Amino acid sequence: MFKIEEGEPFVMTKNKKMEQVEQFLIENQHAHYRLAYSYVKNKENALDIVQDSIFKALKSIHRLEEIKYLKTWFYRILVNTSIDFIRKHQRMMVMDDEVLDGYLPQTEDEPTDIDLLDALETLSPDEKSLIILRFFEDLKIDEVAAILEENSNTVKTRLYRTLKKLRIEIEKGDLE
Amino acid sequence: MKRMNKMKKEYDDIEIPPELDNLVKDSIQKAKTTKKKPSPLRNWSLSVAAAAALFVGGINASPTFANSLVNIPVLGSIVQVFTIETLTVEKETYQANMETPAIDGLENEGLQIALNEKYIEENRALFTKFEEEIARLEEAGSGHLGMDSGYEVKTDTEQILSIARYETTTAGSSSTEMQYDTIDKQHNILLTLPSLFKDDSYVGIINTYIKQEMKRQMEEDKNIAYLAIEGANVEFNSIEANQDFYITADHTLVISFDQYDVAPGYMGVITFEIPSHILQDALVGDTYIQ
Repeated sequence: MFKIEEGEPFVMTKNKKMEQVEQFLIENQHAHYRLAYSYVKNKENALDIVQDSIFKALKSIHRLEEIKYLKTWFYRILVNTSIDFIRKHQRMMVMDDEVLDGYLPQTEDEPTDIDLLDALETLSPDEKSLIILRFFEDLKIDEVAAILEENSNTVKTRLYRTLKKLRIEIEKGDLE
Repeated sequence: MKRMNKMKKEYDDIEIPPELDNLVKDSIQKAKTTKKKPSPLRNWSLSVAAAAALFVGGINASPTFANSLVNIPVLGSIVQVFTIETLTVEKETYQANMETPAIDGLENEGLQIALNEKYIEENRALFTKFEEEIARLEEAGSGHLGMDSGYEVKTDTEQILSIARYETTTAGSSSTEMQYDTIDKQHNILLTLPSLFKDDSYVGIINTYIKQEMKRQMEEDKNIAYLAIEGANVEFNSIEANQDFYITADHTLVISFDQYDVAPGYMGVITFEIPSHILQDALVGDTYIQ
């Protein structure tokens, strides 16, 4: 894992900054891919998003002022690119759950663990970001707040609300 | 939180496609190589080499050209202006086209280098500004921005070379700024407005004339408007001592104002030809202005 030590100098040459960013992108590519995948649910689109985010990041590298913000900075680009993608393709992806239920045959299958990830699908993209960043990527509340450009208290409140919503969905799944 | 752990496990189990690694490395390479313009240093030396080759080629290839060098003692006649560097951005909502002029053939190399370096520096600074502006717009969501800069040779006589450089920014509405350099090719000096006059009395003379002229033009044509009218919020008061200017081939002084400076935007860049006879008493001599 790419780690930045405390007291790392802020001022570094452009080349060194570029090197560190490249290294970070290569070392953490799996995490980045998973993050993108959990938004778009398909390999091609997830790969596109990773590629797009790398382009955006390297072209605006001069705006990364301190290397210690590298992780939150890149995650913000990645999350925004993913959410942008979803918004652009929303018409194709979203259908009201109740409408959908009417068309689908009732399944008698035992609920499996896969349903847990499906529970994520009931969340809005923003709610999804909260869960993924905080619990799957193990980021601190402050880091999540920095990525989503919200203050920490807002993030906490929304996270709590989302967890509540999620738990209900999961329990519903369990009951069926 | 047990469920959360299960969900995290599923998340961690998302299959990583084998092509990811290459895609990441490729993307980094591509982003690095297509990033902005190519390295400025390389660009500069290449263009200089190309320009030099062209010049030498011109002398070698054309006997007439070579003869003209022998026969005409005035070096001024082979001073030329050409585009040394073009910076462009061509994206859906962002466009820039910036042409940097360069002067070649001035006897005073110090002056030539200073001017050429100024042109390159200013255009690059403009380009950087453009990129920063795009970055800002992108951060805010999206936006439209266009920037054009270029040059025009206003006057090129045996004696005088006047180059005008413009810079137009388009974002919704557009605004244009003009800058001029006027060079005496025979004496190899860069002319400034104050250097043409004995003292600063020219400022008042020109102001009076411009105010009159604004009034006259507005009376003559309803479509013309200046900010000089009495009662207007912003009035034209005075030219700067170093107001933008150039000199025409028939030795007339032209004073120039950027768009919005003295008139509503639709009037564009404003220029006034100042009749030479009213300047006569203030002029140092009649070399440039007659």
